[in-house]
Amino acid sequence: MSGALAVILRAQVLGAWNRLTKRNPARLVILAISLVVAGVFLGGGAFAVGATAGHFLPFALDSLLAAGFTALSLLMLVVGFPTVISSLFVGRDLLQLVVAPVRTRDIFAARLMTAVTANLLLSFILAAGVLGVGAGAGASWFYFPMALLLIVLQVLVVTSLQAILMTVILRWVPAKLARDVAAGVAGLTGAALYLAWNLNLRKTFGRRGAPDVTNLTSFVSRIDWLPTTWPGHALSAALQGSIGPALVWVLVTVALCVLLVATAELLYERTLLYGLGVFGAPTAAWRRRKARPIQPAPPLTAGALRARAELPTGSGAQGSPYRALAIKDWLGFRRDVRRLTRLLPALLLPLGYAAALTQPARSLSGFWSNVALVTFLSMFMSSALASPSVPSERRGFQLIRLAPLTMWQLLRAKVFIALPPVLATMLVFSLAVAVTSKSGAVQLLELVIFGVWLAAGFVSISVSGGAIDPHFEATDDRRSVGVVGTLTAIGGSLGFAVISIGALALFLFGEQAAAGTANLGPLPSTPVVGFAMILGGVLLVAAACALVGVLLTFANARLRSFDASISES
Amino acid sequence: MSDTASPAVEARQLVKRYGNVVAVDGVSFQATRGEIFGFLGANGAGKTTTLRMLCGLLRPTSGMALIDGIDIVAQPVPAKAKLGYLDEEPFVHPHLTGREFLDFVADLYGMARGRQRVERMERLLNLFDLAQKDGELIGGYSHGMRQKIGLASLLIREPSVLLLDEPTNGLDPRSARLVKDLLEELAARGTTVLLSTHILEVAQALCRRVAIIDRGRIVAIGSMDELRVQTGSEGANLEDLFLKLTAGPESRDMIERLLEGGS
Repeated sequence: MSGALAVILRAQVLGAWNRLTKRNPARLVILAISLVVAGVFLGGGAFAVGATAGHFLPFALDSLLAAGFTALSLLMLVVGFPTVISSLFVGRDLLQLVVAPVRTRDIFAARLMTAVTANLLLSFILAAGVLGVGAGAGASWFYFPMALLLIVLQVLVVTSLQAILMTVILRWVPAKLARDVAAGVAGLTGAALYLAWNLNLRKTFGRRGAPDVTNLTSFVSRIDWLPTTWPGHALSAALQGSIGPALVWVLVTVALCVLLVATAELLYERTLLYGLGVFGAPTAAWRRRKARPIQPAPPLTAGALRARAELPTGSGAQGSPYRALAIKDWLGFRRDVRRLTRLLPALLLPLGYAAALTQPARSLSGFWSNVALVTFLSMFMSSALASPSVPSERRGFQLIRLAPLTMWQLLRAKVFIALPPVLATMLVFSLAVAVTSKSGAVQLLELVIFGVWLAAGFVSISVSGGAIDPHFEATDDRRSVGVVGTLTAIGGSLGFAVISIGALALFLFGEQAAAGTANLGPLPSTPVVGFAMILGGVLLVAAACALVGVLLTFANARLRSFDASISES
Repeated sequence: MSDTASPAVEARQLVKRYGNVVAVDGVSFQATRGEIFGFLGANGAGKTTTLRMLCGLLRPTSGMALIDGIDIVAQPVPAKAKLGYLDEEPFVHPHLTGREFLDFVADLYGMARGRQRVERMERLLNLFDLAQKDGELIGGYSHGMRQKIGLASLLIREPSVLLLDEPTNGLDPRSARLVKDLLEELAARGTTVLLSTHILEVAQALCRRVAIIDRGRIVAIGSMDELRVQTGSEGANLEDLFLKLTAGPESRDMIERLLEGGS
């Protein structure tokens, strides 16, 4: 290893170590627990699935392994792209490395170590599955190190391919924009996968019998030429004890990896020479619209300031801070690709559910299923849109603190700004589920009123959560709310949801009991019981309002006592 | 309550502590209406912390900050309506254009909409050579341009008190001169300017009085003549006075020691 490469790597490791150790210990513990749980759950699950397949489906192992490596490659290509762009092309510390007497090859090698992290994390699931296949099929000992080697090679292949793609894309698209768009695509992919998994759960659980892998084998036979399948073929040959073919597949995979890494390094060097990436942006193509013609106005010279005192201060309507914040947020949202990328996956879920529910086979039956869906989606949308609304002010928050504006006004404005899109989505969704489940007009009205109530509550709670623990320096909305704020928002929203559904149930059943038509089990269906239930519903509504009020008050107090500087992010 | 007889800006025994560190230690001074008051100090002396306490961004550990006689901690809204603060790194929204940003600030402060407001905005954009950057987002501005749009956002609403932290930082000579002229003009019209700067020539040229802060404490306050008397340095310029009052090792000695160590 060259001296410069060792120095850069040491600095990277030190930086990563400092980021980890300088954190709040409580956060570290939460992070460690999450990692262990995810590792056991995902890794253990993948290993079990792999072992089962290895034991019971020996005839389909080649297809399974080839498909596994191909799927992993596609997932890495999409989900790991933002990390690759950030590591190789966006970090400002690259500037220092470039002006130092360091070979580009060393810079590339050092940054590649960081660039592979997201892809390596993703490959962990496949590694568990592939090792499980080996264990289930009773593979020889050399299968296991070979599997790990092939996975590492695949990670390098995909990462190099991403680097090569970026060296081309950068000629037209600025690096930061490319990273943000890639993050959006990754978010959409994640949301789409979640949606597909969720919607297919019922179907999967409904089906019983022997698994059919005919489709898989025929599919893999069509994509057999893809290099992403080569490691799968190598492992399959190793499982069958064919050492020669296994070695050939490994060698061609190694050759491909070397070729792609070398090409990526060469192109990276040329990219730095062109001054792209963090060193500049391509010209012209991504300029904003041309400036509108400037309206001629008398120049404001120092002397003219004297005359300005006589100018009337304005004759139009009074300016409104609410309007100012709404316009600013709208423009910021529209122009900030990163914020848009946060919104799109959030929108995909209600739209996906609405579309899926229009299929007769999947339509839900029952009013309470619709209530549960509306509650979940309202909570999800509010969390995505309203939680970051205060922290997304970033350094501009100081501007608001300097203005003659109370923090109550700011919170109110943020709630009013986030509410319309959440309401609109919920109304469309309520309408869709009510129509597809063939609910009557009364039930639709009940659902809509409940949706509006939930949206107002969830948005207020989410705004409060963001205001209670804002990270104004975060450049990414997903990191703009701290653990305390996130937990407060989630806890508050869950509490609000439970109380609200309870209140709705008491109102609906109370009304039926008052009319003598309710079936309440041991309770008699009488007007007195009905009245008592409606009264209980009113009390729950009051409790829900109190919950929202308490969180908003706490948020107001936290914002008022904010006493820190916010550095440029 | 606002009181016309009271000083426009008053710091009363301001203290700011961060744990055991005392950033500002009992700072007191007054600036009168229409005065340009200089606030000088070395890096980390406590200038920015004091200014941020005066504008309400930081809560003093003890002491009071008064704007036109209004305690900014007790009555923040009316006090803030009177003042404009420019940070050394101006607070701007990177996803707005300059024009949109000025509109945002004007609305935030409840300025009446209409022709006059638009006209004033155009004038300010022209004045600071920002009009031709109309289609460009502030995120793409250079530091100097951000400084200019920050200043324009103060001038669009004419506050009676301006607290400026290094306002000429990053400006080209022409713009720096323009800012100096503007400040003199504003002061002549009754605006109080509290100017924190490292550039002693600017302070000497503009400020009627200056306060020098060192390690969180005011070490001298007054006009140039008064400072000369206080330090017994007749005929000294502000730079000499500043160096004398914030005495550290002589820079010439330090350079010699550094070069000896390196050779």
